[in-house]
Amino acid sequence: MAGLRLDRVTKVYQGRRGRGVLAVDAVDMAVEDGEIVGLLGSSGCGKTSTLRMVAGFETVTEGEIRIGERLVNDLPPAKRNVAMAFEGYALYPPLRIRDNIAFGLLRDRRPKAEVAARVAEVAGLLEIGDLLDRYPPSLSGGEQQRASLARALARSADLHLLDEPMSQLEPQLRAILRARIKDWLISHKMTTVFVTHDQTEAIALADRIAVMEAGVLQQFATPAELKERPANLFVAGFIGEPPMNLFKAVADRSGAQPLLVVQDEAGRRAFDLPLPDLPLSEGRALHLGIRPHRIGFGAGEGIAAKVLSNHWLGDQTHLGLEVGGLVLTGVADAAIEARLGSEIAVELPLAALHVFDSESGQAIAHGASLVADGRGAAA
Amino acid sequence: MAYLVLDKLTKRFRRETVFEDLSLSAEPGETIAVFGPSGAGKTVLLRLIAGVFDPEAGDIRLDGRSILHLPPEARDVGMAFQNFALYPHLDAFRNIASPLKAQGLGGEEVRRRVQAVAELLKIDHVLTHLPKALSNGQKQRTSLARSLVRKPKLLLLDDPLRNVDAKLRYEMRLELPRVLKQAGVTVLYVTQDYKEAMALGDRVAVLTGGGIAQLDTPERIYKAPASREVAQLFGDPTINLLPARPEPNGGGATVDIVGASFPLPPLPEAALGRDCLIGIRPEHIRVAMEQREGALPAELDAVTPLNVRSVLLLKTEDGGELLASCPEREAERFPRGHRSVWIDIEASQLLVFDAASGARLGGAAP
Repeated sequence: MAGLRLDRVTKVYQGRRGRGVLAVDAVDMAVEDGEIVGLLGSSGCGKTSTLRMVAGFETVTEGEIRIGERLVNDLPPAKRNVAMAFEGYALYPPLRIRDNIAFGLLRDRRPKAEVAARVAEVAGLLEIGDLLDRYPPSLSGGEQQRASLARALARSADLHLLDEPMSQLEPQLRAILRARIKDWLISHKMTTVFVTHDQTEAIALADRIAVMEAGVLQQFATPAELKERPANLFVAGFIGEPPMNLFKAVADRSGAQPLLVVQDEAGRRAFDLPLPDLPLSEGRALHLGIRPHRIGFGAGEGIAAKVLSNHWLGDQTHLGLEVGGLVLTGVADAAIEARLGSEIAVELPLAALHVFDSESGQAIAHGASLVADGRGAAA
Repeated sequence: MAYLVLDKLTKRFRRETVFEDLSLSAEPGETIAVFGPSGAGKTVLLRLIAGVFDPEAGDIRLDGRSILHLPPEARDVGMAFQNFALYPHLDAFRNIASPLKAQGLGGEEVRRRVQAVAELLKIDHVLTHLPKALSNGQKQRTSLARSLVRKPKLLLLDDPLRNVDAKLRYEMRLELPRVLKQAGVTVLYVTQDYKEAMALGDRVAVLTGGGIAQLDTPERIYKAPASREVAQLFGDPTINLLPARPEPNGGGATVDIVGASFPLPPLPEAALGRDCLIGIRPEHIRVAMEQREGALPAELDAVTPLNVRSVLLLKTEDGGELLASCPEREAERFPRGHRSVWIDIEASQLLVFDAASGARLGGAAP
C-alpha cells in the first residue's frame, strides 16, 4: 500500500501528419495511502488515459507519476507493484477461475494454504464461489467482470487500479457488491484508483472523485463537496441524479428590495428570489442551481408551482414542477399528495442555492454562504 | 371497452419459446409500461403488434377488431425507437411530416398538424433544422413528434430514453405523461429501467421469461409484488430476502429473522411452518448510532451513497447481511469506519414469499 502522486501529468497522442491530440492536460493529483479515488468523466475526457499511464500501459508525455516515493514513469507495468482489473486485461482463458485469481498471489510467493483461503474469501465476496472450477469463456460478461475484480482484490499491492469495474454487473447484485467491495478496500487499506463514466458508481465507492472533462481535471474533492460546492457548471450538472436544476438569472437592484431575477430559456422573467449579499454587478449573466432534493414542499408559504408530474418510485418521489414557464425537478423522501395540474407551494431555500458566472462557468457562491440573515427565503 | 387486447399470444423462434399464452388489455388513453430483464421478449412483443412478426397462436385486437391479417402500414400503430431513426437529409418539419405525405396529405393540413405536434413537444422553433443541427433531446422529440403526427390510436415506444443523458432523461420523464395524455393515445412503453416503468406507466406489465408475471399499478407492484422475482426487479437496492419459517403465534404468526422474532401480517394457514423467504425493503430498515427500545445491534460494513439516498451494508448478529437505505443527509452521521449501529425493522411492511414457488403469500398490500 502506498500513496500516488501525479505532477503535471500530460498525454499527447500523435495524430496523422504529426498533429498532436492533447488527451490529458497537466493533471496534478495526490492520492493518500489507503484512499479510494474515482476518475470520473464522459468518454474522451482523459480518465482512461490517465489510469493507463499510472498502470504503465501508456507512456507519459510530460510530468511525473510516483507510487509511494518511487518515480514510475519509465517502469514497465509488471515492475510497478499494482494490481489491476482492466477491460483489456482479460482473464487467462486456459486457466480455471480459481487459478486465474490465485495466479498473482502465487507469483507474489504467498503460501498455498493462504492463497486457497484468500481465493475462497474474495470468491464469496463477489458471489462467484460456484464458478471457481469453470473456465472464463463459459462465463457471462457480468461473471467475467466479477472474476476479474476478484483477481485484483485478492492481491496485496501498492496500488489497485480498476477500469470501469462494475459496468457489467447484474443490476440486482450491484448495490450489495459495491458495498462489499468498499468494505473490503477500506478494511484492507488498499489504495485504489478506479475509472468510471457513471457518477452514481463514483459517488458510491470513492472517498474522493477527480472529475475530468476535455483532458482537464475540473475538481478533485469528496462526493459531498462535489454536491455542495461544485467548482463550475460542468461539475454541477454532471454530479447528482436527478441532475441539479440550473437556470439563467440576473441581479436587479432597481426596486426597494434587491432581487435575483430567475429567467426562462428565452430570458423572460420567470420568478424572483431575494438577492443574496454578493458582489454581483447588475446585468452580469448568472446561472442559479438547486438540487432536486433541496426543494421544499408543502410549506404554506413559498412559490406557487404547477404540478406537471408526480412519480412515486417506492423509496422516493420525483415531481415535475412548472414555475413561470420554467420546469424544475423536485425529489421528496415520501409520497406527495398532489394531482397533476394542481398548484403546490415550493420553497427554494437560499441555503441550498448555487450561483455561477454564466460566461466562465465558474462557481461564485454556494449554499450556506448565501444566507445573510440565517433564514431561507421565498419570494 | 379495452382498446388494445392481446389474447393468448404465443411466439416462438424455431424451438425457443419467447412467451406463451400472453394476455394483456389496455384501456383507451392508457400508458402501459412493459418492463422486464433483457431477453424477456419486450421488443418482440412490440414487433408482433406492429406486424413485423406473426404470432404462432393467439390474437391481437384493436378496438374490437383483429389486426393480425393487416400489413404493418394498415394497422394504425405509431412507433418510436431508442435510436431516433430520422431522415438525415430532411429538416425536422419534413421528418415529422413524412408519415402524412405517405398518406397523400399535403398543404395546409400537413403544416397545421406538424405545427401542433411540434408545439406540444416544444420543438416548433427548430423545425427548419436538419437532424445534424439538432441536439439529442431535440432529435428524440422530433422522432416522437413524427410518431404522433398521424394521430395513431396506439403508440409503441421501444426504450426511447435508453441512450440519452441523465438531464434529458429526466426532462422527458417529467414531460412525456402530459404529451401522451394530450395526444389521447394508448401507449405501450418498453423500458429496462424500473423507475421509468413506475414513473410513466399507468400500469406496469412485468415481463419475465415466458409471460407476464404481473400487470398492475406501480404502487401495487411495489407494495404487493406477485412474486419474489417481481419484488427483486423493483427497488434499488434490491429487496432483502431472508429464508425463514413463519410459526403460529396466538391468532397470528411470527418469524425469526436477524436474531429476533417479528410479528407477520395475516398469512394463509398453509404458509405456517412452510419454508418461506421474508422480504424486507431496504427503506424499511432504520439505522441509528444510538440504542433505542426494541432496536437490534448490527455492524455497519459500508456506506455507499446512491443519488439522493445512501445504501448501508449491515451485518446482523446471526452473521447475515442486510442492505438498508436512508436519505443521504442521514447517512452523513456515520463516519468512515464506524461499525456499531442499532437497527429497527418495520414489521408491518414485511413481505412473505413461498420459498419453492416464489409466490407472495402475504404482507404489505396497500
